[in-house]
Amino acid sequence: MAANDSLALPRPASAGAAPEHGGKAQRHWRPGLHHAAWLLAWPVPLALLLAWYVAARFAWIPPQVLPAPDAVWHTLAELYQSGELQANLAVSALRVAGGFALGLAGGLALGVAMGLSPGFRDYVYPTFKAFSQVPVLGWLPLLMLLVGIDEALKIILIAKASLVPIALNTYKGIQNVPTRYIEVARVLKFTRWQLLSRVVFPAAAAPVWNGIRYGLTHAWLALVVVELLASSEGLGYMIVYGRQLFQLDMVIAAVIVVGAVGFALDKLLALAERAVLRWRKPGL
Amino acid sequence: MADAITTPTTRSASARAVRMPRALRGWVLPVALIVLWWAAVRFGWSTSPLLVPVSKVWATAVQQVRSGALFVALSASLWRDLAGFALGASVGLVFGTALGLSRLFEQLFGPTFHTIKQISLFAWIPLISVWFGLGDTAKVVFLSLAAFFPVVLNTFEGIRGVPADLLEVARVLKYSRWQVLLRVVLPSASPSIFAGIHLALIYAWLATLGAEYMLVSGKGIGNTMTDGRENFWMDLVIFGVIVVGLVGFTLNWIASRIESRLLAWRGRSVAAF
Amino acid sequence: MAHAGTLSIEHLRKQYEVKGEPLPVLEDITLSIAPGEFVSIVGASGCGKSTLLRLVVGLEEDYKGEILLDGKRVAGTSLDRGIVFQEHRLFPWLTVEQNIRMALLNANLTESEKRRTVREHIGLVGLAGFETAFPHQLSGGMSQRVAIARALVTRPEILLLDEPFGALDALTRAYLQQELHRIWQAEGITMILVTHDVEEAIYLGDRVVVMEPRPGRIRRILPVPLAHPRDRAALSFARVKDDVLQEFTGRPADLAEAPIRRLPDPDAGGGLPPHIRFAI
Repeated sequence: MAANDSLALPRPASAGAAPEHGGKAQRHWRPGLHHAAWLLAWPVPLALLLAWYVAARFAWIPPQVLPAPDAVWHTLAELYQSGELQANLAVSALRVAGGFALGLAGGLALGVAMGLSPGFRDYVYPTFKAFSQVPVLGWLPLLMLLVGIDEALKIILIAKASLVPIALNTYKGIQNVPTRYIEVARVLKFTRWQLLSRVVFPAAAAPVWNGIRYGLTHAWLALVVVELLASSEGLGYMIVYGRQLFQLDMVIAAVIVVGAVGFALDKLLALAERAVLRWRKPGL
Repeated sequence: MADAITTPTTRSASARAVRMPRALRGWVLPVALIVLWWAAVRFGWSTSPLLVPVSKVWATAVQQVRSGALFVALSASLWRDLAGFALGASVGLVFGTALGLSRLFEQLFGPTFHTIKQISLFAWIPLISVWFGLGDTAKVVFLSLAAFFPVVLNTFEGIRGVPADLLEVARVLKYSRWQVLLRVVLPSASPSIFAGIHLALIYAWLATLGAEYMLVSGKGIGNTMTDGRENFWMDLVIFGVIVVGLVGFTLNWIASRIESRLLAWRGRSVAAF
Repeated sequence: MAHAGTLSIEHLRKQYEVKGEPLPVLEDITLSIAPGEFVSIVGASGCGKSTLLRLVVGLEEDYKGEILLDGKRVAGTSLDRGIVFQEHRLFPWLTVEQNIRMALLNANLTESEKRRTVREHIGLVGLAGFETAFPHQLSGGMSQRVAIARALVTRPEILLLDEPFGALDALTRAYLQQELHRIWQAEGITMILVTHDVEEAIYLGDRVVVMEPRPGRIRRILPVPLAHPRDRAALSFARVKDDVLQEFTGRPADLAEAPIRRLPDPDAGGGLPPHIRFAI
């Protein structure tokens, strides 16, 4: 069994092993390996942490370049206690929320319009496509000239970053609703509104959701960049500030927070996805 | 399909719109914008020095090309972009393959990888600038990072997604482990791997610009635009935007062509995003 | 002509573990298959017939009892034993010709020998002209034929077929059954077919093995003493089919009317079991 097992790719452990119709081979469920998975996640990060600690402790690398882990931890605690962390976090969060909301509304509207109206699509899509070729950052200098460097810049950039994937995916999603569903609706004499709300939008929900996920990721990306470049508050600002003062502990602390926010956003999206797309077969 | 939805009403709409042939419709908006722009300059709707005439942008473009400045900036940006992309993508392929093939490897390194992945890409730049300076090395390192993540993810998914059916065929045909990897796993995973590489290309270009804004030493198209911005040379900035868009488009196009060539065996058109 | 193998299965037992509990799948399977014979195995879902096939080809191991091919114990897969699955399982990134060649990756043949035998087998399954087509361009029936060619190109001693035509429409199925029969006669190797289609089993097999589920056991083995080519519409065919079907419906139909007087059967070679219903 062992020699041939190596040809098998790791598969998510399937619960039952009894073959049913057709007798497809199922892997046996091995409880030992499953629980060990949680433990195996730790050695690598712990080793890295240890290496970091040792390197800093014995000053193999100067503290301006690599601060000690406990320094980072202290700084993190300080920032939290002084409220500085929360304040900056709130600023960043609000910016993302505002920009993303704008991008979401705009993207959905644009995507729906392009999807439903061939006329609108003919006029707007080529220009839209051209604009979307320029990555978000390409617009930064231009926008800086036009609107300066305060909130408007950030909101607009974030909105643009999220708008493009949302609009594109919404448009494609609506376009790709299978004709067979539309035909069913026609046979059942659905009104235009019923067709849209009962058939088109639910059927397009999955790609639209994909677009929203991409949009949020890009929004967050844009936020970090713009705060790094042109901001006096927010998480990105904290990173730059620490960098300029060569207080790397602050930089790393802020980076950790950025990562944590990214993680939280991911989880939030996954939760929302489960709710929104409950009818889909899992794993699609 | 969208036409199927709109069939009832397009009859009247098409009667009106029939004067504008479909092929030309896409041009209406851009032309209108340019006309608006020209009018704004001509009739002095704004006194801001930012409102540069269309002709000035054209003149600047010509000058940039003639003087070779564009060539210098673009080639610098592109070589860094491709170098970082190549580095990040190849390391990503190896890492992603390892993650996909070995459950143990995935359990050991997967969680750490996924955690590090959560850190928004650009947040790395300040750290990288401390560790690698502000020059080309730092930029290439950053770009590799940008290309690394999507390649790993897509490679991993592609490998895990190889149908067990095909693996059984390989067993029946007595393939060695190496043969299974090269002849079954990698070809089967190739669509996903290519999607990852395509994404990596997009992200690398995005990151190239960001890197040039933030790690300011050296030349590049991002630096050109920063120049323009600092000096309030709107024409240069607009020129930069257009160049960036063209490069992005070209890279995308090349990637799509290669993808459709190599993945012709799939038969159906791969959705573009 | 490849050398046809002799398969001997003795007291085969197989069980799985589900949540710690043993689940018997096959119980005391004993079957002897002569070289060049075509054996059909029929049974309802869950009777373990596919597991039996997978054990013989070596995809499942860990069994009790004996599975011997030409006297050697079966352990793991081998190029001596080929299999055609219900799904064609062709590599989508390769053409028809390349897919068949894939089976020869580890064969000791020269380049030109490989090319020749691949061409031969493409001809054998009637797909000449489609060498450079990709699987997505083929119909289900054609893909399955490629799968058969791929399984045969290694010149196995025994070919196993696990519901090979189950995913195809009835018309294609009938055609492919015919083709399989022709190929069997041409190649002369031992073949074992697993199917839930009784008619298919009788059309193709020298013997029909009826299996029953929970746990999988051989219920009965019926010889099919019909001459080739077999006529599905013939009385004798229907009689054998009835006989087999009876194993599934449980007992001869209780006749509400008075029993029909049996006349001697002109088609039979003698020796038909007395409880066969006289089909009109």
